[in-house]
Amino acid sequence: MEIKNIKSSDIPAFFNQLIKQGKVVMAPVLKKSGKVFFEQVQSYSQVASDYIQTGFSAKSVVFPKVEVLFSYTKTEEGIELKDSIADIPETIVWGLRPCDGSAFNYMTEFFLRENPDTYYAARKEKTTLIAVSCPKADDACFCTSVDLNPGSTSGSDILLTIMGEDIYVEVMTEKGKAAVENSASLFTVSEEKDKEEFLAKIDVKFSLDEIKEKIKNAYDSAEWKNVSMGCFGCGACAFSCPTCTCFDIQDEGTQNKGQRLRCWDSCGFGLFTKHSSGHNPKTNQTERRRQRLLHKFKYSVENLDIVSCVGCGRCIRVCPAHLNIFENILSVTASSIER
Amino acid sequence: MKYQINFMETKNQYIPYKMRIANIIEEAPLVQTYRLEFIDEKDADQFTFRAGQFAEYGVFGEGESTFCIASSPTREGYLECTFRSSGRVTKALANCELNDIIGLRGPFGNTFPIEEWYGKNIVFVTGGIALPPLRCVIWNLLDQRDKFGDISIYYGARSVNDLVYKEELEEWKNRGDVKLFLTVDPGGETPDWKGLVGFVPTILEQNPPKSENAVAIVAGPPILIKMGMPILSKNGFDNANIYTTLENRMKCGVGKCGHCTVGKTYVCKDGPVFTYEEVLKMPAEY
Repeated sequence: MEIKNIKSSDIPAFFNQLIKQGKVVMAPVLKKSGKVFFEQVQSYSQVASDYIQTGFSAKSVVFPKVEVLFSYTKTEEGIELKDSIADIPETIVWGLRPCDGSAFNYMTEFFLRENPDTYYAARKEKTTLIAVSCPKADDACFCTSVDLNPGSTSGSDILLTIMGEDIYVEVMTEKGKAAVENSASLFTVSEEKDKEEFLAKIDVKFSLDEIKEKIKNAYDSAEWKNVSMGCFGCGACAFSCPTCTCFDIQDEGTQNKGQRLRCWDSCGFGLFTKHSSGHNPKTNQTERRRQRLLHKFKYSVENLDIVSCVGCGRCIRVCPAHLNIFENILSVTASSIER
Repeated sequence: MKYQINFMETKNQYIPYKMRIANIIEEAPLVQTYRLEFIDEKDADQFTFRAGQFAEYGVFGEGESTFCIASSPTREGYLECTFRSSGRVTKALANCELNDIIGLRGPFGNTFPIEEWYGKNIVFVTGGIALPPLRCVIWNLLDQRDKFGDISIYYGARSVNDLVYKEELEEWKNRGDVKLFLTVDPGGETPDWKGLVGFVPTILEQNPPKSENAVAIVAGPPILIKMGMPILSKNGFDNANIYTTLENRMKCGVGKCGHCTVGKTYVCKDGPVFTYEEVLKMPAEY
């Protein structure tokens, strides 16, 4: 790790230098709705500065909502298949929060540890993550309950922390180094500083170790029914989640020409598990919500030794039924001890 | 990055092999068997599989569907799949003509430990269109018949017409070294039906197989798996010697898309072959 300092007045110059290098730069942009979303920007003036969290996470850079796996064209000799991996551009994600940065750690383990996913690997390799730690939080934020904090460097290539007129720069990786090198004159060497007073204060909702232990026996908890009572199965939680990786594969086109796509999917949808016979192993919203929450806190721990929830709070903010993941986790683990 | 991928050497798991439909057999109403041959000889040389594995079969413009490989690895040069036309992809597949090109990804999943079964008696229990995954195993054993003890097959379908591989059933019935319990559900028999009448679990209970030195393989609609395995267990089969193949909905085949999970288990990469011992530890999400 290298620690540097940059004046906040020099940030636009640093940012615009990244754009000049011809990279796709994705940054938070304030929309008319008052919400902030990642978009490709051309200049620092477009970048939102005052936001707690972006609407969608940055995962679409490595796992797009809709991605072309290959295109096919029928010819006289047969069928030609062409994948689009070579076209994936060098991309910089600017302004993601530390929770989103750490979500990339999980996704990399999930997509690459076993049966490596070519598309994820290609996109991740070409992506540099420049995160900004959180000076503010809201009631939905709970990163401190999942072993993270508003200044976690985990998963990010660079973490910027605003300390008044100075920006404290933690350069974590070779990719991070490459990003600052082109603007070397803007940075000065800095000693290690305590970020604490510049970070949001976020209450700890539960002890993660205790939850991980208790949730082992939570499958049959009677509470699942209560915590899924209002669930419509709309999938908003999964689509906004930085660690949800489920997808569908669909074709678009005719017999002669078209493409095979992978698109985000959600375990909250009734069709997700339905067999062609009509049989459905997960018959109701209770079973589906249980799958989602157990996957985050139990199954991914068993399979990859990682809790796949980063406490970003998006699923809480977007849920039309006001379901709250950390309250739900507390309920189902509380009842599991009584059994 | 922690995981270095060599894009030139790592096979892109989403790009299908191109296969020519070399033969079509009408098995039962809406059920067909396709024999598939590789268009590219290099693919044919590279491709190997073992009994129990499955593949994704794709019609360009429609999508992909998941079925086991129904032919035995002992029969080289082609693959066969048997499917019922029911959804968008299988309907499109059913409409394909001889010599059409379809996509194939695979083989995926684990396999039946056939070498561990040498010298043992083998019992197959299956129903309807779940015979195809076991047909692969059955021929695999029959093609090295002297390595195994008794082979019994319990197979049933809703009606006589719904039985698949009718010619092969006839062959197994007549070959003397296979005991075949062929049944149809009550009401599914025809006037000249000479087989048994009754649901497969009932037939299995009425004609219990000997559990000594035996392994059993159950495949079927989930209800047959859920009913069949306990019957075998009650008859003295060790739960570790009762095998099944689960067939949850799948999209990717490689443990990524999330559709097929049973608890923490991905049927596609951790299965589809499981023992009853393993199934009992999993939630009943199949």
